[in-house]
Amino acid sequence: MAELQLQHLDKIYDNKVQAVFDFNMDVKDGELIVLVGPSGCGKSTTLRMVAGLEDISRGKLLLDGRDITQTPAKDRDMAMVFQNYALYGHMTIYENMAFSLTLRKEDPNVIHKKVLAAAEILGLTSQLNKKPAQLSGGQRQRVAMGRSIVRNPKVFLFDEPLSNLDAKLRGATRREILLLHKRLKATMLYVTHDQTEALTLADRIVCMSMGHVQQIGTPLELYDRPDNLFVAGFIGLPPMNFYHDMGFEDGRLKGNGFEVELSAEEKETLKDYYGKEIILGVRPEDITADGPLQVQVTNNENLGMNTLVHGSLGSNCRIVAKLRGWSEYRNGDSVGMRFGRKHFFDKDTTNAIRKEEK
Amino acid sequence: MTQAMNDRELKLDRMRYVKNTASSRLCYLAILLNVLYFVSIYKSDVGSWYYQILVGGSIVYNLLFMLITFLASEGVKNYQKNFVWPLFILGALQIVRIFLLPTQAHQATVKVGGEEVIVMQTAQYIRCIIYLAGSAACLILAGVINQRKASALRRHIGNIGKEAA
Repeated sequence: MAELQLQHLDKIYDNKVQAVFDFNMDVKDGELIVLVGPSGCGKSTTLRMVAGLEDISRGKLLLDGRDITQTPAKDRDMAMVFQNYALYGHMTIYENMAFSLTLRKEDPNVIHKKVLAAAEILGLTSQLNKKPAQLSGGQRQRVAMGRSIVRNPKVFLFDEPLSNLDAKLRGATRREILLLHKRLKATMLYVTHDQTEALTLADRIVCMSMGHVQQIGTPLELYDRPDNLFVAGFIGLPPMNFYHDMGFEDGRLKGNGFEVELSAEEKETLKDYYGKEIILGVRPEDITADGPLQVQVTNNENLGMNTLVHGSLGSNCRIVAKLRGWSEYRNGDSVGMRFGRKHFFDKDTTNAIRKEEK
Repeated sequence: MTQAMNDRELKLDRMRYVKNTASSRLCYLAILLNVLYFVSIYKSDVGSWYYQILVGGSIVYNLLFMLITFLASEGVKNYQKNFVWPLFILGALQIVRIFLLPTQAHQATVKVGGEEVIVMQTAQYIRCIIYLAGSAACLILAGVINQRKASALRRHIGNIGKEAA
């Protein structure tokens, strides 16, 4: 049982720079929360505040209802896994994994049991006598996780644990973390700037920008119903296409040298914006090559199952379409495209415009 | 597997991953005591007496002693049985050394300003004996501990192999 409550957390450094603004969140027991955002958005700072490695300037941190805002890091019953593994090079894997328990002067036989159990979970049993330098990056990261597991903490904290790994290993280790979470059913906070990690791992994602929480929700919610322009642009690869200054008139969106037909439902959504300008967003995967919008192809990238078609639309607006199958458009080709699912954003607030839910 | 193990078996199983620090630390202690002996034996006003016997040989022996003991300490750290014998031999030699330089120096006298003086006073002699005997005890104990642990570990690994088969 480990429920974490982050209540109005602020982080203000000595030089008056504020890194985190009013962070609010309730983490349920056994939940895997991923904090995602670009570099400098405050996600690692938030994690370090939870770990106790940074002071909390304002707000409260509760673990199972107990206020741990001022509790030292060592007494918080949390384990952190770092990007650079933080293993002791002169110790064997066994000694690295046992180290925290040895410091606590636990019974050596108990330590042995815990280390072997963790090694078995992580598939490290045959590596226990080796030194960290003899292991691959993925194995080292597993050792770092093993060191956390043996402590049996209430909360696991991961600070970009896969950033040092190559793409293939990252995928494999990501799956291992997911399996580990399912097996341990532990509460985990995971920081990454990689949206693929966020979407594949998270029970819920916290998307951050400039120290502010932009949206908290399930991966599908963030992908399908982004709250604002930032979340819409950050989640999804390739990013969403945005068209600013699109006017809503006569049941159509017009601007930037092209116009888009709207469905009845979309018109209903935009009913309050008649005569006003909005921002139109379309995901590359929601574009098909069977419509009236003439796109001048500038680049064609075949990815096997899909083709990324880069081009210009209307008055030189950039467009990226992710088309199914293998296409071989050449530079300068004109392709008729159609927008499928559309997202609308308020021009002033950049918040999503949605039909009022009844 | 660890679930079914009792405390004794767990202790044995731990040796698969934990080094034999007891033996290796005893070796380091033996080296330290030997160094203390070496620096204290010439602590006498009548240093000239020592040059009459093989002081060079003594220096070379001390260097070899430290080298072999250090190498053996690394060996016993990994439960290697073949490093036990060098430890026993060095331990025995440390005992023999008590009856060489210190005892001879304690019995010998020299004339200083027309007066007969004992080369090594009793207090210094006892100190030297303590250092050498302590060093010998450490080496022999390190060897015995390693012999017992290595044998137990070998049996345990054999049992694991049988269980796995």
